[in-house]
Amino acid sequence: MNKILSLPLLVLAFAAQAQMQTPAAWSTVEAQARGQTVYFNAWGGAEATNAYIDWVTKEVKRRYDVEVRHVKVTDAADVVKRVQTEVAAGRLNDGSVDLLWVNGENFRNLKNAGLLYGPWAESLPNWGAVDLNKPVRSDFSVPTDGFEAPWGTAQLTFIADKKATPTAPDSASQWLRFAQANPGRTSYPKPPDFHGTTFLKQLLIELTPDPAALQQPVNASTFARATAPLWAFLDQLHPLQWRTGKAFPASAAEMHRMLADGELRLSLTFNPNEAANLIASHQLPDTAFSFGFTAGTIGNVHFVAIPVNAKAKAGAQVLANFLLSPEAQVHKADIAVWGDGTVLNTAKLPAAMQARFHKKAPGALTSHVPTLAEPHASWVEALESEWLKRYGTR
Amino acid sequence: MPVALVIVPVLPGLYWALSPAWGSQVWLALWHEPQWPQALQATLTSALLGSVLAAASAAMLAMLIYPSALWFRMQRHLAVLLSVPHAAFAVGLFFLLAPSGWLARALAPLFGWTSPPDWLSVQDPWGLSLTLALAIKESWFLLWILMALLGEQAVARQMLVARSLGYGRMQIWRAVLWPQLLPRLAWPMAAVLAYGLSVVDMAIVLGPGTPPTLAVLVWHWLTDASPEQQALGAAASLVLLALLVAVGGLASLAWLVHRRQRQRRLPTGQRRPHNPPVWLKLHLPLLGIGYLVVALLVLWSLAGPWFFPALWPQALTLESWRSANWQPFWTTLWLATAASMWCVAATLVWLEWGPQRYNAVLYLPLIVPVLPLVAGQYAALLKLQLDGQAVGVLWSHLLMVLPYTLLTLVGAYRSFDDRLMTSARALGQSRLSACLRVKWPLLQRPIATALAVGFAVSVAQYLPTLFAGGGRFATVTTEAVALSAGGNRRVLAVQALLQVVLPLVGFALAALWPRWNSRHRLGLR
Repeated sequence: MNKILSLPLLVLAFAAQAQMQTPAAWSTVEAQARGQTVYFNAWGGAEATNAYIDWVTKEVKRRYDVEVRHVKVTDAADVVKRVQTEVAAGRLNDGSVDLLWVNGENFRNLKNAGLLYGPWAESLPNWGAVDLNKPVRSDFSVPTDGFEAPWGTAQLTFIADKKATPTAPDSASQWLRFAQANPGRTSYPKPPDFHGTTFLKQLLIELTPDPAALQQPVNASTFARATAPLWAFLDQLHPLQWRTGKAFPASAAEMHRMLADGELRLSLTFNPNEAANLIASHQLPDTAFSFGFTAGTIGNVHFVAIPVNAKAKAGAQVLANFLLSPEAQVHKADIAVWGDGTVLNTAKLPAAMQARFHKKAPGALTSHVPTLAEPHASWVEALESEWLKRYGTR
Repeated sequence: MPVALVIVPVLPGLYWALSPAWGSQVWLALWHEPQWPQALQATLTSALLGSVLAAASAAMLAMLIYPSALWFRMQRHLAVLLSVPHAAFAVGLFFLLAPSGWLARALAPLFGWTSPPDWLSVQDPWGLSLTLALAIKESWFLLWILMALLGEQAVARQMLVARSLGYGRMQIWRAVLWPQLLPRLAWPMAAVLAYGLSVVDMAIVLGPGTPPTLAVLVWHWLTDASPEQQALGAAASLVLLALLVAVGGLASLAWLVHRRQRQRRLPTGQRRPHNPPVWLKLHLPLLGIGYLVVALLVLWSLAGPWFFPALWPQALTLESWRSANWQPFWTTLWLATAASMWCVAATLVWLEWGPQRYNAVLYLPLIVPVLPLVAGQYAALLKLQLDGQAVGVLWSHLLMVLPYTLLTLVGAYRSFDDRLMTSARALGQSRLSACLRVKWPLLQRPIATALAVGFAVSVAQYLPTLFAGGGRFATVTTEAVALSAGGNRRVLAVQALLQVVLPLVGFALAALWPRWNSRHRLGLR
């Protein structure tokens, strides 16, 4: 039995090996990359992330002679639009974006419109260390097909302050009860901010009658049926929220500040280590702590992709490969740096490195929270536009 | 012609950017867009009420204290306050007024608050906090314009004559000064209104979010991926333009009607020499809030842990400055320096050799809402493949800077004594060398001022930098606005302060350099 099962796996492994570039092919890519400038368009809303990308910039310059410029993006959808406009205007080889931090619906839009270069991701030398048990080959239920390389993992995590909130809500219904007990002290970022949208999806997964339907592309009838309990829930929740649900914080970062000032009781993040990070930089009191819902919270993998009209495709691949290296991944996982989860199989790494991957700091998520899969990417746009229609105006 | 280079490419760009708006289904979609009515309302409130309040407070202040020693003292304060860019002012005002802001912290011990009050003091759904910010900021600008107008000899003398005839200050203002000042204030008012209609940076910081103001909505739509949304953006930016024209039309109609009625009521000759109440010290809050806002920026940039309801930070630290990102500062510095130099040079050439009757065209960017212009610039840059390039960003700034340098220089240039030029030409100098050796050195003071003004205008640009730069060029302004959605007030305060410091240094240099340069020339000092 075992042998029968492992045979296809073995074939798969060989196929993967065959697809991976031979060392010679990769060294041509590295040679082409030398001297190139890579415009890395990545969300620039958190200093920890920006500081990490600064470090990457220096390392990549030193090791591969590739110049990296971090273009700080507020919303990856802007970049999708930029690539689209450029290609439509006939800029096919010297686009302004070389590498893009992306996942979910933006990836789907780019891939469906044929705006991505590839496949290249699974032929990177460092692809071998990637943990294939994590959802690194499907992005919000859309197959990646080698058009984007995994960079890190994220899981929706909530933050509260022990002083004001001794017991935190551990499910959607508890969240509502908490809001009733603390009127005006809960909120979530205004969708389409991705933290806000993720919060909606989290509630949806818990409230919807048939969670399996969320893994399929959305259509009007499934949407109405699946989301009805969500809107009923929000209709109850919003009047109890900050500013009676007529206004929303602009971002999760703004919610952290409001939590620190006591304006809110709960905040949320996609990084289980962010609270630790914020305590260290005096942005949260040291009584802050992280928690999740007992039944689990949404987790996903974030990726980097190369637009079809990128100018420095070789440089972008070299950068993506470095981002996947154990050194870059362990530095990224360091709570004092960024604290972002790795996509590598840490069991395959040296023991000393493994320990560095598992370091914890006060404030970070300590208990194990199950990971829930993201709904299919097409749900995002449907949810956001319906939310905007219902609650986008006061 | 350097000036044509700045303006001409925008015209086809405007066509490319706004042509998606042709077609009735776009307007129908806009009509059915759910955010649209409230966004329009917030825009109208903030732009109209803000402009009216700004005009009213500037007018009231002028009537109360002109002429007096205080009026001339205020001039110096205004010079400082005017160099605080809009975005930095909005950030500082947010620090002051937010529910967890300094005002609430100051009141907290009185009311025993331990967590911030449930105030709607910023980002309120009606756009009132944005209105307040615009009213204060633009009242400084209008006061400054009033000072320039009242500084003219002819106007000042009329005040003197009317007073010696025994008329009271209020009477003189009503019968003599306003009838001549109001028509001349029309264009500055139009500029204020156009700014209020299309302001995005202040609206992001202080304006409502559900929905945002129309300008922010237009910006979102124009940068959206789907062509339908882009068409909405083009249509809505035309609405902004139409609003300006409509309000302008109504205002001039009202002025005509008012003039006709006034002619029927001739002055009676009765003297009412009582003076306005002295207790109304309007200038204190109007100027004080500016300094308070800057002080809060300084405090936050130095703060260690500082949570509500503490009135002062637990500790002061230089950490935020040490770890500050200086890249936007340097980008701003070269961009603003290049833009102001280029524009002053172009202005001098234009004033010397250009067809002066087209000056009005150059002033258009001042009184046209900036959003359609910027969209046009971006479309032109895309076609030329210059978007996201340094040249493209610089070019996008020129259009915004040029009218200001022209405005600053045109008065001094016109009043230049032409006999000096005639003498120089008679001594065998060509026109260019006469300019280089006689005219421009003599005008060094206004030229230095124009450089500083151009520099300050370029520093404050938000939309052109964002669109033309394709996000690759972070200036202190774009950085401050981007950070305002983030959580770290310290980093935000540092960037906002850098935004204040750059123009201030520019103005200081403009005041000091001509003095140093002409230290051996008695007549120029």
